[in-house]
Amino acid sequence: MPTMTLTQTLVMGLIQIVAVLVLIFVMVPLLTFAERKVIGYVQVRLGATRTAGGHRGLTGALNRGMWAMGKVPVLSILRGLPVFIADILKLILKEDIIPEKADRAVFTLAPILSVMAAFGVFSAIAFYPGVLFTFPAGFPIVGGLPFMGFISDVNVSLLYIIGLASVGVYGIVLGAWASNSKYPLLGGLRSAAQIVSYEVPLTLSLLVPVVLSGSLNFREMSLRLGTGEGMSWLATFPLMAGFLIYTTCGFAETNRTPFDLPEAENELVAGFHTEYSGMKFGFFYLAEYTNMIVVSTFASGFFLGGYHFLPFGLQRFIPATVPFFGQPSLIFFFGKVFFILFTYLWVRATLPRYRYDQLMDVGWKYLIPLTLVNLFVAAMIRFAY
Amino acid sequence: MSEPIEPQTPAEPEVPTGPYVYDYAASPQRQVVLPKTVPLPSLKTYRAEVVAQQAADEAKWQKMQADYETAKAKAEAEGKEAPKPPVKPVPRKDDNDMKTPWPQEAKAPDLLRLQELLGDKVEEVFEQAGELTCQVRKEALHEALRLCRDDASLKYEMLADQTGTHYPAAKDFAFSLVYQLTSISRRKRLRVRILVPEGFEPESACSLYPGANWMERETYDMLGIRFKDHPDMTRILCPEDWEGYPLRKEYPTVGWGQRDIDLREDRGGVLMRIAMEKAGQMGINLKQPQAD
Amino acid sequence: MFKNEEMEINLGPQHPSTHGVLRVKLRLDGETVVKCTPIIGYLHRGVEKICENKTFFQGQVWTDRMDYVAAISNNLGWAEGVEKLFGIEVPRRARYIRTMLTEMNRLASHLLWLATHALDIGAMTVFLYTFREREYLLDLFEAFCGARLTTTAFRIGGLREDLPPGFIKQAQAFQDIFLDCMEEYETLLSENRIWKKRTVGVAKINAEDCIALGITGPVLRAAGVPYDIRKAFPSAAYAEMDFEIPTRPEADTYARYLVRLAEMRQSHRIIQQCIDGLPEGPVMAKIPKILKSEVNEVYHSIEAPKGELGYYFVGEKGGTTPYRMHVRAPSFVNMQALSKMVEGRLLADVIAAIGTLDVVLGEIDR
Repeated sequence: MPTMTLTQTLVMGLIQIVAVLVLIFVMVPLLTFAERKVIGYVQVRLGATRTAGGHRGLTGALNRGMWAMGKVPVLSILRGLPVFIADILKLILKEDIIPEKADRAVFTLAPILSVMAAFGVFSAIAFYPGVLFTFPAGFPIVGGLPFMGFISDVNVSLLYIIGLASVGVYGIVLGAWASNSKYPLLGGLRSAAQIVSYEVPLTLSLLVPVVLSGSLNFREMSLRLGTGEGMSWLATFPLMAGFLIYTTCGFAETNRTPFDLPEAENELVAGFHTEYSGMKFGFFYLAEYTNMIVVSTFASGFFLGGYHFLPFGLQRFIPATVPFFGQPSLIFFFGKVFFILFTYLWVRATLPRYRYDQLMDVGWKYLIPLTLVNLFVAAMIRFAY
Repeated sequence: MSEPIEPQTPAEPEVPTGPYVYDYAASPQRQVVLPKTVPLPSLKTYRAEVVAQQAADEAKWQKMQADYETAKAKAEAEGKEAPKPPVKPVPRKDDNDMKTPWPQEAKAPDLLRLQELLGDKVEEVFEQAGELTCQVRKEALHEALRLCRDDASLKYEMLADQTGTHYPAAKDFAFSLVYQLTSISRRKRLRVRILVPEGFEPESACSLYPGANWMERETYDMLGIRFKDHPDMTRILCPEDWEGYPLRKEYPTVGWGQRDIDLREDRGGVLMRIAMEKAGQMGINLKQPQAD
Repeated sequence: MFKNEEMEINLGPQHPSTHGVLRVKLRLDGETVVKCTPIIGYLHRGVEKICENKTFFQGQVWTDRMDYVAAISNNLGWAEGVEKLFGIEVPRRARYIRTMLTEMNRLASHLLWLATHALDIGAMTVFLYTFREREYLLDLFEAFCGARLTTTAFRIGGLREDLPPGFIKQAQAFQDIFLDCMEEYETLLSENRIWKKRTVGVAKINAEDCIALGITGPVLRAAGVPYDIRKAFPSAAYAEMDFEIPTRPEADTYARYLVRLAEMRQSHRIIQQCIDGLPEGPVMAKIPKILKSEVNEVYHSIEAPKGELGYYFVGEKGGTTPYRMHVRAPSFVNMQALSKMVEGRLLADVIAAIGTLDVVLGEIDR
């Protein structure tokens, strides 16, 4: 890697940050769209699977033709798109109301905090372990420099990520408290208790890959766990168990079904964001979906083999000489991310919601002992090898 | 300083004399027509009616015959043709599938048993349309209900319904209160009825049938009958500050501030035009602004 | 330094899962319910007063607006109550059609209950599955009487019209698919661990309390009491039908869920019997154009999807309107159980309890 001047470092960093932000801002709306589509198909909803375009223009002509033939319009991918666009427009254009009795400063700060915590995590996530491409030599300022698959290669990135991710709960709790209303308060209390409880098994289950790989760097851990180099074949089992525990805790951390108690709309109206509207609500929404992506990225990077084809360190059985499947690739990484995101939606369409005390039971009575045992097994394997 | 407002004494109400008084003068539309009869189903009344009807029919027949005799004598005297002799009117038979259920003598063992247990506290027992009714004295309601629930041969475990009816035309009572009892084990139904005057507070059935709680609250809300020893004698369906008891016959069906002109019945648009003219006189423009 | 303070919150009148405009005043200690006071009356329209000023034919229209998810059951209660008041004998074919439509309505009502109950507990998919079948039933109602929800399906003395051509065929088509659809709901819920965790042992009320409070319908049957008015005091053509009364001994939310599902299967059976054994003949009794009552009082009750739906009529001599009309609404009486069910339990159980009682506020407030 050629040495960079200060300007080059700054500009390069800026470019990468913008690239990641663009990625988030593309993925989150696509995720909501996917949610509509997936759940729409699971639940035989008509809006998401039938609504397609208007009767004007090219698509309109095609649609009219299809309707005339008695069939659902051909532009299947676009069905439900108008609803999606209208939803985004509504979020942006809606009046932003701050309740009179609310604490204005904290009320405004809370969604910002949530979004910042969610976005900040991405600076330490490596989407690809190496150089994605090199800028051509004629490019101003950054000519000839490589574009890496990550923003920064922090050597304790896991620590940073977990630390920053737990800041997100402050957004929820502060927003709930600042609303000065009873339902958000209950939602905030639930959220605080839930996230604090599930932070423990989540972190403990992440310690398994740390123990097995002997690193705290996202890129290194992901590479080592993917290829399984320097690890016993026995390590596959704690990784599998860890994956299941981690995913469960991930659902709880992101407040998704069946752990969506802080915003349980049937009990608490809308939970902590009852009083929020407009883009402030949009920020919470954005943070939730960004967190989903973060959790999926972790699961993909640590447990499912990251950039490699096979999960749980099974990649060792495919020699690196095999074209494509033997090589690390961005496609595998994102493929796994999308699979876990799909699981999120799938679960949401299938399961009911836990009750508050049952949620605590699951966290403290089952998940934490399980993670401890799992961690012990992983440490034994590491020690024995 | 404004002068203290003198409390105005409201004008003496003419009709009706209930606990709540409606100012009909302020809104003539709210005038109600009170019922003239007391449609309280009862075997005694029915029998009396039948006897009276028969007597009336007989009297009519006698009169017709007498009329005929006089007419005949008159015709004979004048030498004209004699009028037709009268025919005794027979009750008209309707060709339909209706068979009006009249009150009948109580034959059901439950009613007889209840009568035996309560003795002279029972005012009346009868059957009508296959339903058993037992009317007891208003003071003996609690005792009757307890017997119905606890007696081994009655066992009416459930209070299905409790409600009342307002009879403003009745002399010695104002309301009838009915308790519909169901025996789940014996598949039987029974109606216990009491007649209460205005202001009388019957005993609450809550201690026997806890389910009576809301039903009695509803009766209080709708008819204004308060129950003794009720745990929470407040209004249930109407707001707490509601005036009057809606299901009394004197309660008007037209609300306060309901518009005087019913536009739905204004087919020709005449009333609408008058309304707009009146509004125009008051300086209100009801017409939609129209483009040139 | 530390003090324990109870919080009072209002669940409703505008709340996503109070099934209308129910207001429940809850006193909470953390998430535990200390005291629960249901407050009703937000939808009070004075149906009883209105019906006292409408003729016997017109009053039926108002019964649609009470339990608006089971309008045909309400119509049946009204029509049969008035027929009892006048002593009208209804032709057999009309009674069969009434039975069939009422059972279809019971299916529609139970489907809506399953949908909202599951949604309250967080299972969203069942909601849309059940609405798919309910749509079919509403289409059948529309084919029969032109209205989907506020049907006014029957007339005093029978039916206004016979079944439209093709109705039986469509009903049979529904019958053929329906049991498979029920399998779908049960796959999603019956053995679902979270569903069982949320419902088993929740909102218990035993048989003694049920009877004392006057609670009827599936709630009573889930407490082990086989009391069904269709069997106990049969009306319409129920005496000729072959069906069972499903009961469960557990008396909790899960038992009520199972009982209602079993009831849907029984309704399916009854509809099939009606389709197969539909007799020929007239559908309207011979009655005068203007009905004038005698002095009489009747209390007629039928088994509505929610429980015992009773109509109390008082007729006056020569009256074309009821002198007094009272409705014994099942939801109104069942609602009294709410406090007993939830006090000492968690906030989420209140939602489950309201869902399992299957209340309709139009009927509670009338």
